[in-house]
Amino acid sequence: MISATPPPAATDGGDQDDDAAPVLRMRAIGKSFPGVRALDGVSLDAYAGRVVALLGENGAGKSTLINVLSGVFGDYDGQVVVDGEPVALHAPADAQRLGIATIHQELNLVPDMSVADNIWLGRERATGGWLDRRDQVRLAGDLLARVGLDLDPRKPVRQFRVAEQQLIEVAKALSIDTRVLIMDEPTSALADAEVRRLFDVIRALTAEGVAVIYISHRLEELEEIADQVTVLRDGRWIGTRPMDDVDRDELIRMMVGRDLHVPPRAGRATTEAADDGTVAAGPRLVVQDLRVPADPLAGRVALRGVGFAVRPGEVVGLAGLMGAGRTETLEAIFGVYPRHEVSGTVQLDGRPLRARSPRQAIERGVALVAEDRKTQSLVLSATVRFNASLAALRAFARAGWLRRTAERRHVQDQVRRLGVKTPGLSTVVGHLSGGNQQKVVLAKWLLTGPRVILLDEPTRGIDVGAKSEIYELVAALAAEDVAVVVASSELPELLRMSDRIVVLCEGRVTAELDAAATTQEEILTAAMARRALVAP
Amino acid sequence: MTTSTATAAPTLGDRLRRLLPMLGGVQGYIGLVLIVLIGIWSQGDRFADLDNLTNAIGYFAPRGILAVGMTLVIISGGIDLSVGAVMAVGSTASAMLLTEMNWPVAAIIPASMLIGAAFGFVNGAGTAWLRVQSFVMTLAMMTVARGIVRETSDNVSIGTVVLGPDGEVAPGSAQFQLLGTPGTTLFGIPLVGYFPVLALLVVVVVFQLLLTRTTFGRHVYAVGGNRTAARLSGVRVATVTVVVFTLSGMLAGLAGPINAAYNASADPQAGLGYELDAIAAVVIGGASLAGGRGSVVGTAVGALILTMLDNVLGLNNFSANWQMIIKGAIVVAAVVIQRPDLLAGAVARLRRRDEPPPTDPGPSGPASPPTPAAPRGAAGDVTREVTTKEL
Ligand SMILES: Nc1ncnc2c1ncn2[C@@H]1O[C@H](COP(=O)(O)OP(=O)(O)OP(=O)(O)O)[C@@H](O)[C@H]1O
Ligand SMILES: [Mg+2]
Repeated sequence: MISATPPPAATDGGDQDDDAAPVLRMRAIGKSFPGVRALDGVSLDAYAGRVVALLGENGAGKSTLINVLSGVFGDYDGQVVVDGEPVALHAPADAQRLGIATIHQELNLVPDMSVADNIWLGRERATGGWLDRRDQVRLAGDLLARVGLDLDPRKPVRQFRVAEQQLIEVAKALSIDTRVLIMDEPTSALADAEVRRLFDVIRALTAEGVAVIYISHRLEELEEIADQVTVLRDGRWIGTRPMDDVDRDELIRMMVGRDLHVPPRAGRATTEAADDGTVAAGPRLVVQDLRVPADPLAGRVALRGVGFAVRPGEVVGLAGLMGAGRTETLEAIFGVYPRHEVSGTVQLDGRPLRARSPRQAIERGVALVAEDRKTQSLVLSATVRFNASLAALRAFARAGWLRRTAERRHVQDQVRRLGVKTPGLSTVVGHLSGGNQQKVVLAKWLLTGPRVILLDEPTRGIDVGAKSEIYELVAALAAEDVAVVVASSELPELLRMSDRIVVLCEGRVTAELDAAATTQEEILTAAMARRALVAP
Repeated sequence: MTTSTATAAPTLGDRLRRLLPMLGGVQGYIGLVLIVLIGIWSQGDRFADLDNLTNAIGYFAPRGILAVGMTLVIISGGIDLSVGAVMAVGSTASAMLLTEMNWPVAAIIPASMLIGAAFGFVNGAGTAWLRVQSFVMTLAMMTVARGIVRETSDNVSIGTVVLGPDGEVAPGSAQFQLLGTPGTTLFGIPLVGYFPVLALLVVVVVFQLLLTRTTFGRHVYAVGGNRTAARLSGVRVATVTVVVFTLSGMLAGLAGPINAAYNASADPQAGLGYELDAIAAVVIGGASLAGGRGSVVGTAVGALILTMLDNVLGLNNFSANWQMIIKGAIVVAAVVIQRPDLLAGAVARLRRRDEPPPTDPGPSGPASPPTPAAPRGAAGDVTREVTTKEL
């Protein structure tokens, strides 16, 4: 069915005319973790050539459901039927054999192996035990082209940014003779252009008769790509609706269990406040001519002179395509790169901020919510409390000795403020749902009491309700006179949060726009001012 | 959004639950109790004899102390293969200070710890700043340190029992021997006053507190759990690494004179293979060689298990060869006991093999769950004990 795989199976995609029988039928699926009933009596059907969306709040059980389906857990309650045959999914290999391919919420690539080796991992193309390397690389190249990536498959995965890695995951899923393709928040790290590309891939697949299960918190995406939507709440099946017959309000009501008041774009008093001169309006953060060389080994693109300023209480959005240098800008300010590689000046409250290390930046009151929570932000094996207090530990210590009661109280406050769904503070962070992990990261940085907060994709994997909470949080921080810089690949979100938008392209600022007056088109034009990185 | 967060005011139950993880997983104690029971059952009075226990612990204490340092290193994501050799350096240095310079014990011990710390510092510097992997760095240090002891001692062991001109044991030497002489009591508690036991106890308590109650301890776990995240959270990763290795070296320096006193001589070959016993104790104690997990108390239990095992096997006249074979098997068994999820997984797999093939839908309709799910879920509960240990 998928061209990249060996021929024999290529024929059985032909008879997909009977929509009536689902390829995949899940019935009464249940799954428990210690202290948590993550799934209870959930049903889901997937039909050939259709996209079914799975929707629900953070921790609703979406990832758990697809983990069951991809054989991650080995044990679960309920029944899974593929093509009318009951099947048992006890290991990922069982799922693969049935043609169920999964792109998990968290990236699962081996960083030091090449892109091609990653794509064929576990299903290496070989003759008599000998790898057909050339074959692997060539076919990998084809798969990558299908997802719109133009990169050398022989390079190690480590060199690529999160968004590119996400697309590599998609290519990997395509390498399986897929009948059911599951995507768990594949777009959480993608910018609009890449999302378009991914949708083209999905449409091509459904045209070939593949059934797609698609998870996303972006409702507008679901409206575009999904035929059907199934909503989960607290591990239970709430309902399944045809996408055409349902509006956003109803979906949100199903997800949240009540009407959610999504306030309109937060009133941003700050611009006026600065105008009427009440705020002593020296900028808090001034970045001038920031330059960093590219580091292909670390997957870093070059900054070629980035400059902007942020006043206290102002929210500046960084827009740009993949590879534009948004992450690099934030990381350079935060002192992530060796000092000698960075040139240009960064000033905090009029004094130079020459952060040689993140530690020094933190000491000056700068916080960075990094792009990838799993690799950059969390000690997954440690508890919620451990992670949340890590950056602010000194505030909870006297002469190096921890004041654990104070620590617990403060962490508890943040956990409550952000509405982290966790059984307790001693829960291992790795056991929380993706969105709740992200909230723990936010809690960690809020606990440092930052004066400048740099947010790199802060709503990655966060549900609609929590998203608007984060927008409110950003507004609240701004109201407390924190200077906020936020990078996001979701333009509507960026427009909603920011006062001003700085557009980057290939490591340069190509536009600086007033968020209230600009449009998505204007931003996109500026973002593509040089050349498109993504193949047309 | 609904939130189900923990309650703010800690109840008694909460406090107990918080205390329990400090004592390590229950599974570790099961192993210990089992071995003690086997000892009592097989050798009765000979095993449960104070002299026997004193001797067993005194013999093992140096390795126990090494294991505590090793715990820190392993939690931070590294390994220290040099501890055995550095301990030998400490032994020989102590013996030389005693016999040639006539230093008092109170000066010998800190001096030996300082020497050990210097070796550890070099390990840490190489690992943190030159970015040599700790396995390689400390492997190299192991040979270097061993070479140094052999060279300085001219390949002969130095007796620490020195006779004075009057033919009696010299007072300094007698004092030194107390470091390894069994049978002393403290506040009337037998065993505790015996220096190796006392030192081990103090080291365990101090380092357990260091790991669980200080910012440094948190940083050690963070560095081992996720270096990048630690760095981005403002942890001085390199400094933490250097300190951890230095502490490990320092503890090896402490173990040196104890080992010399116990054997009444400092042998340049002392401590051969001790690093492996130390690693075994740490791993039995629930640490992960991947870093980020482990506890000093767990290690202490692991060390006790190894001690008692040695002793019980010895009392039962197993030959040294058989002791090695059995010990190896026990290490694996002890680690598996620590991970009930592995066992549960294996059991589930076995049971699955006995199940009717999945293609047979059987009488159960689509809505009723397959039967074996419940026991498996129950087995899953145990895993929590291990994974949610409060740090
Ligand atoms: N390995 C695990 N151990 C314990 N609890 C777990 C584990 N995995 C998931 N859970 C719990 O199961 C529930 C459902 O989590 P799941 O990851 O399926 O949510 P989700 O719907 O994918 O959320 P998100 O949108 O945030 O990704 C959560 O309460 C989570 O804490
Ligand atoms: Mg999820």
